[in-house]
Amino acid sequence: MSVAPAAVPGAPPASGADLLVVDAVTCQFGGVTAVNAVSFAVARGELFGLIGPNGAGKTTLFNLITGLTAPGGGHLRYRGEDITGLPPHRVAERGIARTFQNVRLFGELSALDNVMIARHVRTRSGLVSGVLGLGAARREERETRERATALLALVGLADRPEERARNFAYGDQRRLEIARALALEPELLLLDEPAAGMNAGEKRALSDLIRSVRARLSLTVLLIEHYVPLVMNLCDRIAVLNFGQLIALGPPALVQKHPAVVEAYLGDGA
Amino acid sequence: MNRTFLLQQVLNGLAIGSVYAIFALGYTLIFSVLRIINFTHGAIFTIGAYATYALTGSQFGINGLLAGATLPFALPFVLALLGGSVVAALSGVIVERLAFRPLRTRGADPLLTLVSSLGVAVALVNITQYLFGAEPYSYPDPLQGWPTAMNFGTAGAPVLVRTVQVVIFGVSMVMLVLLTYLMNATRTGKALRAVAEDMTTSSLLGIDTDRLVLLTFVISGFLGGVTGTLIGLSVGVAGPYFGIAFGLKGLAVIVLGGLGDIPGAVVGGLIIGLAEAFVPAQYIAYREAVPFALLFVVLLVRPQGLLGRAQVQKV
Amino acid sequence: MASFLATYDFLLVSMVLAAVLALTLYLPLMAGQLSVASPGFYALGGYIAAIMSTKIFPAGPGLYPVSLVLLEMAVAAVVSGALGLAVGVPALRLRGIFLALATIAFVQILGVVALNLQITGGAVGIFGIPQPFANPIEYMWLAVPLLLVSMVFVARLERTRTGRALVALREDELAAAAMGVNPTYHKVLAFTTSAVLAGAVGAVSAHFINTWNSRQGTFDTSVNLMAFVLVGGSRTFVGPVVGGLVLTALPEALRGVAGVDLLPGWLAAFLRDGRLIIFGVLIAIGTVFFPHGLITPGLLRRLGRWRARAR
Repeated sequence: MSVAPAAVPGAPPASGADLLVVDAVTCQFGGVTAVNAVSFAVARGELFGLIGPNGAGKTTLFNLITGLTAPGGGHLRYRGEDITGLPPHRVAERGIARTFQNVRLFGELSALDNVMIARHVRTRSGLVSGVLGLGAARREERETRERATALLALVGLADRPEERARNFAYGDQRRLEIARALALEPELLLLDEPAAGMNAGEKRALSDLIRSVRARLSLTVLLIEHYVPLVMNLCDRIAVLNFGQLIALGPPALVQKHPAVVEAYLGDGA
Repeated sequence: MNRTFLLQQVLNGLAIGSVYAIFALGYTLIFSVLRIINFTHGAIFTIGAYATYALTGSQFGINGLLAGATLPFALPFVLALLGGSVVAALSGVIVERLAFRPLRTRGADPLLTLVSSLGVAVALVNITQYLFGAEPYSYPDPLQGWPTAMNFGTAGAPVLVRTVQVVIFGVSMVMLVLLTYLMNATRTGKALRAVAEDMTTSSLLGIDTDRLVLLTFVISGFLGGVTGTLIGLSVGVAGPYFGIAFGLKGLAVIVLGGLGDIPGAVVGGLIIGLAEAFVPAQYIAYREAVPFALLFVVLLVRPQGLLGRAQVQKV
Repeated sequence: MASFLATYDFLLVSMVLAAVLALTLYLPLMAGQLSVASPGFYALGGYIAAIMSTKIFPAGPGLYPVSLVLLEMAVAAVVSGALGLAVGVPALRLRGIFLALATIAFVQILGVVALNLQITGGAVGIFGIPQPFANPIEYMWLAVPLLLVSMVFVARLERTRTGRALVALREDELAAAAMGVNPTYHKVLAFTTSAVLAGAVGAVSAHFINTWNSRQGTFDTSVNLMAFVLVGGSRTFVGPVVGGLVLTALPEALRGVAGVDLLPGWLAAFLRDGRLIIFGVLIAIGTVFFPHGLITPGLLRRLGRWRARAR
């Protein structure tokens, strides 16, 4: 059973067709400005990297995009629609999926269940039809199970579908989280430090996985990552945040040499 | 509405309210240090009331396992009050060691601790009922020779408050001042606030968290015992279940004032007391629902209470 | 057999009804919500049945028609569901302790209202509720199907899209929302379903107990239900059912033990009357030593494998 979406959403990648627009977004917690008037756009089909020192506001930005936190100012536009302030489940409905910096799997549930749950917005059977086991609901249930199994195979975890998620090794948990996010059939996939805790081999495999998934599923990917070589190799463009502000934006080669970026990472007087 | 009536209602409200306030002080103190709701506070309150009763040399009635029992000695009221409150404090410590400490070491969800405290409270109250029966008791009057009521109005338009209620109000203010002083101006208070902030780090910094938790329960239990006796003095001991009733009402008081906020406990108590006093006569039967209606509304509208700060969740 | 049923008729029906009530606590708990509101809906359902059967339908000779009891159950279910929706939508925005407190407040408010309305009979309540059966044991005709239907409902629920959504909310509400699950909608759904069930149980119980007043469906009931679920098991529907059945039978069983002449008087009296003490202590022990209850999905899996091997 293929995991390709039923219909390819929207037009094929074209320059100027921005999928996500972050427009002067600001967010404050108490006295701390976590994100300070950050603006950038992500084009359809791009592999877009987000880097910066710890505490730069990268995860906060993800939380703002996915609705977990409401911005204090600015707008977020997805496919032209203003999604500022929408609650997380509505953002997910529109096709934005994510993984978390500290893996947030449903630990007590099986790997398969974890992935099946994320099929929620792409399925429709309600309480009554589900419990009664009506035909359409049963078909949907079977389909959900098949799609979830295929996704587990895609990330290389097909051998243990019934294993409890919290029993998986850390690297496997991260892959499971990706499978779960893909079950949403997103157009935009947000990955928050997917390579954390992985060894070199695993990091290479992850890189390949991200590239292949992007191609096969026509995804746009927004990636937070600390491991700079991975980001440089993988991404079409990179944005650099420091203390909540956007200090550089462009292709990897240029960003790498940008003086503000060098200073942010290496400190003054390098 | 004439002034005399208004003043009378206000004073009635403050009188009831100050009782709720002292109860809530012990309740909220535990939340302020341990972030748990200790529903056994109501049971401790009952134990204090019954212990004081026993220490005054009074006899227990005809129901219960210890029917007709009396202690072989009788203490004057104030000593009995102190003794009973010490018994209450000790009970609190035992509950802490047996029921809450294991949950704390396992890092249990505060909800689980609340459930446990509900179970323990019900068990304790029913044990008390099993031992002493459910009849009402009253204490020998310690305020003999004092006028029964004080007049805050004029001779022509009297506004009367029972002396015992004035005493209770005074005690509540003293307790508030002492607790606030303890929490804000002493080293122990600072240590307690550190433990409240982060128990693991405090312990790593050399603070004896166990001893401080113990201290918290001792103070809270003592306050609970004092309240139980004072209520008993004011309206009589109406059976062990009045501890559960107070425990439930106390929830409304501490949430209204702000969970963990010490002045909030007093503010909450006084407000609920006033709200109860001002229920119009035709709805007097619904007075008991007032604290809970307030609790429900506060939870929906401003869960951090009047004096609490809104919690910002870091995702 | 006949004399066993005759002696324990009241107990057996009570056990079954308690098991159904335990499921009403389990439903919101599936979504990670501790709600002790069911006793309120239980009380409401009982009052509806009591009022309908004593004041609305004429008292004929002979037994009260079972069809009317079923009608009362349906009305109780619908009214409880409506109230559950009305209360649930605002209340279920609350989390954790705050929700638990709100449901405690709800039950207390309902109790005071019931104590004071004329139609509920005030403090005295309603008595002389007509009987649809000649013998108490025949209430099993209502209780057992109710239990079976609820069990099947919940068991099926655990395997569907909606059930998965509830469990995801319990595990990690934030992640569930990020995966598209609408938290408030599902929490209200679980809460309302629980209210419907509690109302139906209340309606049957009113006839069963023959009188109904504000002492039914109180804070003590909440404590009982918590004991059933906490001790029985909070992660699978089998837990609350077993908890409800066993813990309701426990005081009776202990009473049997208390009858044994060898026991000292005080212990015998304790075993006879100490139901709430025992439940309270069990709750305290349970939270520490078996917070998910005795019957866990793991245990059920192991039992399944053991049975398969034994074949």
